[in-house]
Amino acid sequence: METFINPKSLFHLLLLPCLLLYSSIAYNSSPVEAAMHTNNWAVLVCTSRFWFNYRHMANTLSLYRTVKRLGIPDERIILMLADDMACNTRNKYPAQVFNNENHRLNLYGDNVEVDYRGYEVTVENFLRVLTGRHETAVPRSKRLLSDEGSHILLYMTGHGGDEFLKFQDSEELQSHDLADAVKQMKEKHRFKELLIMVDTCQAATLFNQLQSPGVLAIGSSMKGENSYSHHLDSDVGVSVVDRFTYYTLAFFERLNIYDNASLSSLFSSYNPSLLMSTAYYRKDLYKRRLEEVPVTNFFGSVMETIHTDAAYKALSRRNSGRFEDEMSLDQSVHHIERRMLIKVNDGYEIHDINPEGEEGASKCPWSTFRNKFQKAENVDSLVNYGLVAMIPLLVISTWLVQ
Amino acid sequence: MAETKEKSLSDEKPKPRVRPIVRLGIFLISHSFHVSVVCCTAGVLALFLLPVLAKNTYISENALMPGSASPMLSNQHVSDGNRLVKDLTNPNSKSSETGIESHKIIAQYMLDLGAEVSFHKFHPQMNQFHPLHFFSSPDSGKIQENYSCSSYGINTVGIIRAPRGDGKEAIVLVTPYNALKSGFGEALSLGIAYSVFSLLTQVTWLAKDIIWLVADSQYGEYAAVAAWLREYQTPKFSSLSAPNAEMCPDVNNLFELKGHSISGSKFSNSFRRAGTMAAALVLKVRDQNEQFEDTISIYAEASNGQMPNLDLINVVNYLAVHRQGLRVNVEKLWSLLNSSWLKSLGEIFESLAKVAKSLYPKWKFGIPATEYVEGTATLASSLYYQALGVPTGPHGAFRDYQVDAITLEISPKFSLDKVWRNDILLRGGRLIEGVIRSVNNLLEKFHQSFFLYLLTSPSKFVSVGVYMIAFALLIAPLPMVAASLYVDANSSSKRSKGDSSTPSAITDTDEHSIAIRSWRWLNSAKLVFIVHLWGAIVSLLPYFISQIPDCSPTTSFMIWVLLSILSLLTLNSVLASPLACAKATQEKEWALVKSVTISSVFIGLGLMSVINFATAEIGALLMVPMCLLAQPLKLDVRAGTLRSFCRMICNLVLGHIAFPPAAFFLLKGMLDGFGNANVGDFWMWVESLWAWNSATYLFIGMVQLPCWVLCISILFHTC
Repeated sequence: METFINPKSLFHLLLLPCLLLYSSIAYNSSPVEAAMHTNNWAVLVCTSRFWFNYRHMANTLSLYRTVKRLGIPDERIILMLADDMACNTRNKYPAQVFNNENHRLNLYGDNVEVDYRGYEVTVENFLRVLTGRHETAVPRSKRLLSDEGSHILLYMTGHGGDEFLKFQDSEELQSHDLADAVKQMKEKHRFKELLIMVDTCQAATLFNQLQSPGVLAIGSSMKGENSYSHHLDSDVGVSVVDRFTYYTLAFFERLNIYDNASLSSLFSSYNPSLLMSTAYYRKDLYKRRLEEVPVTNFFGSVMETIHTDAAYKALSRRNSGRFEDEMSLDQSVHHIERRMLIKVNDGYEIHDINPEGEEGASKCPWSTFRNKFQKAENVDSLVNYGLVAMIPLLVISTWLVQ
Repeated sequence: MAETKEKSLSDEKPKPRVRPIVRLGIFLISHSFHVSVVCCTAGVLALFLLPVLAKNTYISENALMPGSASPMLSNQHVSDGNRLVKDLTNPNSKSSETGIESHKIIAQYMLDLGAEVSFHKFHPQMNQFHPLHFFSSPDSGKIQENYSCSSYGINTVGIIRAPRGDGKEAIVLVTPYNALKSGFGEALSLGIAYSVFSLLTQVTWLAKDIIWLVADSQYGEYAAVAAWLREYQTPKFSSLSAPNAEMCPDVNNLFELKGHSISGSKFSNSFRRAGTMAAALVLKVRDQNEQFEDTISIYAEASNGQMPNLDLINVVNYLAVHRQGLRVNVEKLWSLLNSSWLKSLGEIFESLAKVAKSLYPKWKFGIPATEYVEGTATLASSLYYQALGVPTGPHGAFRDYQVDAITLEISPKFSLDKVWRNDILLRGGRLIEGVIRSVNNLLEKFHQSFFLYLLTSPSKFVSVGVYMIAFALLIAPLPMVAASLYVDANSSSKRSKGDSSTPSAITDTDEHSIAIRSWRWLNSAKLVFIVHLWGAIVSLLPYFISQIPDCSPTTSFMIWVLLSILSLLTLNSVLASPLACAKATQEKEWALVKSVTISSVFIGLGLMSVINFATAEIGALLMVPMCLLAQPLKLDVRAGTLRSFCRMICNLVLGHIAFPPAAFFLLKGMLDGFGNANVGDFWMWVESLWAWNSATYLFIGMVQLPCWVLCISILFHTC
C-alpha cells in the first residue's frame, strides 16, 4: 500500500487514512456494505384478545423484557398487544401482568412502551409495519425503520392453525401474507437477517410459503400439533405462559448481554416431551451455520458497529486526552457538526475540512486501521475507490506546495 | 360424436325420464305400509337408544375456565355466614307478624358489607288463564285491581358494584326465603349466600355486578322472583306505584325506619338496578334429607321446555364434582329405576355392544346395563318436565327474559353439628363462588354450548341433532301414508265407476268426473277443519269455566266435558252434516278422512317439535300409531281374519290410551299408583298448564284431541 504513496510528502500519507475514514462514512448506506450487521430490531406481536388469552400477552411481554435486557433499545422494538390484560377488570392484580405463578416479576412495569395496542393490532397494521408502507401521519416510534444491515426478530403468539394465525379473533394472517411481506421487506432492503419465532398451534405451517433468503423461522409445533400453556396461576385464575415461550425464556434467563450461546444451542434446548409439541425450525433459507450464530445476533443488540464506533472512539479519545492538543470542548463539538455536514453533502467540501481532518486522523492509532483492514474484506475495494478519488486532490496539493 | 350419440339416444327414448327423486317417492308411497312399520319401529328403538348415544358434556365456552382459580372463601366468611344464620333462627326475629324483622336483619347485614340495599315490595299476581297471552312476553302494564295491604311481599335486594367494571352486566344470586315460617334450610341458604356476598365485596376481580335477591317466598318462590324481574326488566314510568306504597303504612314504616337508622348509607327506597343479567343462580338448601352424602340437585327446565345453556350446568357440575366433592343429581323418574324390562333392554344393548366390540375393537358404544337404566330414568324425567312446559323452580322466571338460570338445591346429610354446618357453608359457598367467578370471566352471553338437549346424567347429554332422529323417524311415515291413502281412494273410486259405465260414456264425462273426484278431499278437509275448530273452542272453554265462582275441580271438569260434547254436536249439525250425509255413502270416504287427518297431525307435530320438542315426541308416540292403524271397525269385523282382529284390538286400545285425560290418568297411575286418582286431578293439571302458558296445553287442545276425535270417527265409520 505504501508503494502507491509518494514518499516525498508525509502530509499525503497522513491525509490518506483520513480520507478513507470519510469515504467509509459516506458509504455507510451503500449496497456495497449490505452484508454488514449494523443494528437490531424486534417486532413482538400478541395477536389474541380476551381475558382467557392472558398468557399470550404475558408471552409477548416476557420476550419484550428479555430482548430489552439483552440490549435492544425500546425505540427499536415494535410491541403490539391486542388487548390490555393489566387493566382488565377480571385481573386480580390491577396494572400488573405476571408470567409465573410465583408473581416475582411484574412484566408490566414502568418502562413498557406499547406501540400498537388493542384494536390497532390488525393484520393490516402488522403488514404495514413489516413492509414500512405507512401513512404519513404515523409517528417514527410506530415504524420499523430497519435497513439492509438490520437483524430483525419477529415474534408472534396467538391462536393459529394450518397456515394461518388469528388476529383479534376476527382476522387471519395467512402464511402467504407473511411470505409476501417478508419478500417485500427483502426487496426493499429492510433486513439482512430475519428470525421469525411463532408460538401458536401448528406454527410450522406458517412458514411454508417463505422464500426470501436470510430468513430463519422457528415455530412451537408441527402441523397437526397443539401448543400448550405451561401452567395455570390459580390466584389470577388463568394460564400465564405458554410452554414454548416458557422454555425459550428459561434459556435466555441463563444468558447475559455478553454471552455467545449459539442459535443451535437455543434450538436444541427445546425438549419435545416438555413442550408437548415438536419445535420446528426452518433453516434452508438461512446461509450461515447455526452453530456460529450467537443468539444475541437477534435477541440482543449489535455490539460492534465499525464506522460509528471508530468515529466516536476518535472523538472520545480526543475528549479524554484533551491535555494532548489543548482543544476546547466547543471546538470538538464544532468538529462533529462539520463531520455531519460532510456526511450529508458531497465530497466538494472536503477541501475546507482537510486541515482539521488531518488533525483528527493524526489521533487515530494506526493499529485500529489495520484491524479494520483485516476485518472487512471489501475495504480493499474502498481503498481503491478512495485512491482514485484522491488523484485530482493529490495533483492539486502538489501543485500548491510547489 | 358424442352429440350425435346423445341425439340418437334421445330419439330412441322419446318419453321423458322420471327423475330419481320422484321415482323414490313413488316407490315409498307404493310401499307405505312396510316403510311405516320400519320407520316407526326404528323411531321407537332410536328413542330407547338415546341413553347409549349420549355424549359426555364438555365446557364449550373458552372464557369460562371453571375451577382455574382457587377458591378464596375462607373460614372468616363462613363464620360471617354463620352469624347471619344464628340471627335469623333466633326466635326473637320472628316476633313480627309480617316477618319484617328478618328482612331488616338481612338488609342490615348487607349494608354492613357496603352493598347497595333496597326493598322491593310486590303484590303477588295470581296466575290466570289469558287466552291471548300465550307466547307473549310478560306484561308490566298489568293492572292490579284487587290487592290489599295485607297481601304483599318484600324482596330484599343487595347489589355489589364491580369496582373496576363498567356496570353493564350482572350476575344474580337468588335465595328464596319465607320470613314467616322459614325452616333451617332456608336460613342456611341465606348463610351460604351471605358468606359468598361478604367475600365478593372484598375481591378485585369482579367484572360484573352481583345482585343478591332474597325473594320473599310466602306467596311462592316463583311469584316473588317473577315480580322482581318484571320490575327490573320493564320499568314502570307511571305515578301509580307511589300511592300504592303510601297506602300501606306498614311498608312505609319499614322504609322510613331504615332511612332513619342508617342515614348516609347506601340504602335506597327506589328500585335498584345493575346491568343486564349474564346468569342467575337460585340457591336452596333442603331441610330433610335421607341421603348419605352431600348432594346437590340441579333443576333447569323452564317454561315450554326451554333449557338454560348447557355450559351453565357443565360449570356447576364440574365445580361440584371435581372441586367440592359434592354429588350432583338431576331429576329422575324413580319408578323406572326398578323396572325389569328396562334392565333387560339395557342388558341386550350391553351384550350387543360387546359383540360389536369383538367384531371391531374401535366400536365402543356400549354402556353398562345399570347405567343404561339410570340414563333412561333421567332422560324420561328430562322429557317429561320439558313436555309439561312448567318451570321446575324460580329459575323459570329468568328464562322468560332469556337469562340463563338454574336452581341448585343442596341436600346435606343432616345433623345439627356445628362442624357439619361450617362444612356445608364452606363447600356450598365455594361452589357458588366458583360458578360466579367462572361466569364473571364470560365476555358475551352464554352462546357456545347447546340450548336444545336432554340430560341423561349430570355429565351426559343428548343433543338436538341426535334426538331429532328418533322423532323424524317416527313422523316420517305420516306424509307417505297420507299420499298413498289419497291415491288409493281416488283410484278405487275411479275403478268402481269405470266398471259401471260404458267406455263411450267415460270419454264424455271423464274430465268432469276427474275434476269432481280430485276435489273430493275437500269434504274430508272440511270435516278435519271443523274438528280442529272444535278443538280450539274446547281449549278456550276453561277460561269461561274458571270464571264460575266456587267450583270444585271435579265439577269444572264435568262442565268442561259436557260443554265440549255439546259444542261438537252443535258444530257437526250446523256445519258438517248436510254435506257429510250426502257423501257418506261414497266408498273409501274414510280413507280420505284418514289421509287428511294424518296430514294435519303431521303438520301439528312438526310445528310442535319446533316449539317444544318433548311434547311433540310424547305426542308422536301416542298419536302416530293411532293415526296409522285407524280403520273402520266394521271392515275389520267383516274381514274376520286374525290380522284384522289384531288390528281391531290395537285400535281399541290405542283409542283409549290416546284420549288425553286417559293418557294423563295412565301416566299418573304409573308414576304415583292408581289408588288416589281423582277426576278433578285432570282439571287441576290443565289449570296448571294454562297458568304457566304452556304450549303443551294448546297442543293437547288443538292437535291431539281433534286427532283422537277424527280417529274415533274413522273407527266407527259406517261404510
